[in-house]
Amino acid sequence: MTAAVVAERLRVPICAALVLGTWQIVFLSGVVPEKYFPSILSIATAFWQMLADGSVLTAWAQTFGRALIGLVGAAALGITLAILSDLSPVLSRGFRYVSDVLQPIPPAAFVPMAVFMLGLGAKLYAFVIILVTVWPPYLNGVAALSGVGAVQLNTGRMFGLSNWGLLWRIKLPAALPEIFTGIRYAATISLIAVIVSEMLAGRDGIGFMIFKKAFALRTPEVFGLMFLVGLNGVLLNGLVNLLRRAVTGWHLRMMERPE
Amino acid sequence: MPAILTADGVGKSYGSGSARMPIIDGLTLSIAKGEFVSLVGPSGCGKTTLLMCLSGLLAPSDGAVSFKGQVVDQPPIGLSVVFQDYSRSLLPWKTNLDNVLFGMRRVQGMDARAKRARAEEILAAVGLTGFGGHYPWQVSGGMQQRVAIARGIASQSELLLLDEPLAAVDAQTRADMQDLLLDVAQRFKQTCVLVTHDVEEAVYMANRVLVLGPRPTRVVREVVVDLPMPRDQLTTREAPGFLHARHEVLALIRGMRQGQKLS
Ligand SMILES: Nc1ncnc2c1ncn2[C@@H]1O[C@H](COP(=O)(O)OP(=O)(O)OP(=O)(O)O)[C@@H](O)[C@H]1O
Ligand SMILES: [Mg+2]
Repeated sequence: MTAAVVAERLRVPICAALVLGTWQIVFLSGVVPEKYFPSILSIATAFWQMLADGSVLTAWAQTFGRALIGLVGAAALGITLAILSDLSPVLSRGFRYVSDVLQPIPPAAFVPMAVFMLGLGAKLYAFVIILVTVWPPYLNGVAALSGVGAVQLNTGRMFGLSNWGLLWRIKLPAALPEIFTGIRYAATISLIAVIVSEMLAGRDGIGFMIFKKAFALRTPEVFGLMFLVGLNGVLLNGLVNLLRRAVTGWHLRMMERPE
Repeated sequence: MPAILTADGVGKSYGSGSARMPIIDGLTLSIAKGEFVSLVGPSGCGKTTLLMCLSGLLAPSDGAVSFKGQVVDQPPIGLSVVFQDYSRSLLPWKTNLDNVLFGMRRVQGMDARAKRARAEEILAAVGLTGFGGHYPWQVSGGMQQRVAIARGIASQSELLLLDEPLAAVDAQTRADMQDLLLDVAQRFKQTCVLVTHDVEEAVYMANRVLVLGPRPTRVVREVVVDLPMPRDQLTTREAPGFLHARHEVLALIRGMRQGQKLS
């Protein structure tokens, strides 16, 4: 085995060691007071305790569930809006104005309004998450559907597809790879929106826990929870990728093939 | 022989008002069942546009097209186009076999298994045995073109409209593909209309060559190719009838080019 192969095999452990090592050096150097920058060991211990008393697992399940449901809802809504835009130029322009105005608003800014309108709870989460997560699938969907080539559409028509048939059998399959790129962005945005909503208007979930622990200056716990949020992102992305591989595996293999 | 396809005074223009550009003007033609007809004409004269009008994918601005005695207002069953841009015409999310099966979606009186068997038979006839499970982007351009031809034939087509199907392949493959095309056209009883830039190819393949004029185009001359089928790459190309027809078509096209230069 050459050094390169060893490095390739040990990629994950090496990176982990580098990150943890750097962390520990910063900690030992004492640049940041220990109160705000705990050692790896105390973070791990705190995390283990939260795991042991079950609180973190419940919070994790709540947060992950919200992000997942929000993502599914946002993807479904975004694709629906994209299809409607494709069918009607009037709707297309209307949606575009709405998205231009709403898209730049960060999730935190929606929370107060959502609290007034919907109170605390599931409806608030659904509202905030979907409102900030819907745009990438929608925008990518619009671009992809309108970019389907004339030759493909003529092929469909030649073999007798109606306008609906063209949409389902030609346009959507052709657009799915680009839509999935949007859904991958959306997955990250969905997690951000959940954490922010839980922090500002939640009674449970990881976001709420982070807020609570931060006020109590329980820094090791805060860092442990942040790590969990990152892990959630990896997990959600993994799920999206699994689905993407199942639905548009042809496209991934087409892109990967050697020329 | 009865006509399978007729175009009667067909005109087509793009745009409107001052931007209106006439592409086809008063074009009349008639294709008999079982014929192989080549269409040649200067580039950009409107050959692709003509095929779109003939196949019902574009509505003519004037005149009418009829297929088997019925006015064409949408793509009729029994007619299929092999597009100039064949690589984009194959659906990349379907395997080659599924692309051919997609061509058979309107075929009546066959269950799924019979359709599959038929699709495999046609793929074999175009020399693609064992490639049905591949995706179009996994096979060469020449093979993609054969998938597109197979898909056209599989749609229970009687009339194939081929838009420069061999333009993108190398010379040797091209000669092989010409013979393959003639062979499958005969075997599957296809009437063929072939658009090509290559005058030799036009004459080699066809019973008749229709020469199209510059834009706005119409048929300016019909050249009958008085040669027996099957054709042969060596003897046909040396036959007096071949040389005659080739001469006539080339002279016409050269005349058009000079006319264009002068104007
Ligand atoms: N959708 C369209 N709108 C406007 N003009 C078009 C359109 N499609 C084609 N044209 C124009 O019509 C003319 C004829 O095009 P067409 O593709 O039918 O010619 P062609 O003979 O097939 O050309 P080639 O030899 O390059 O294949 C061209 O000048 C082209 O620019
Ligand atoms: Mg053309």
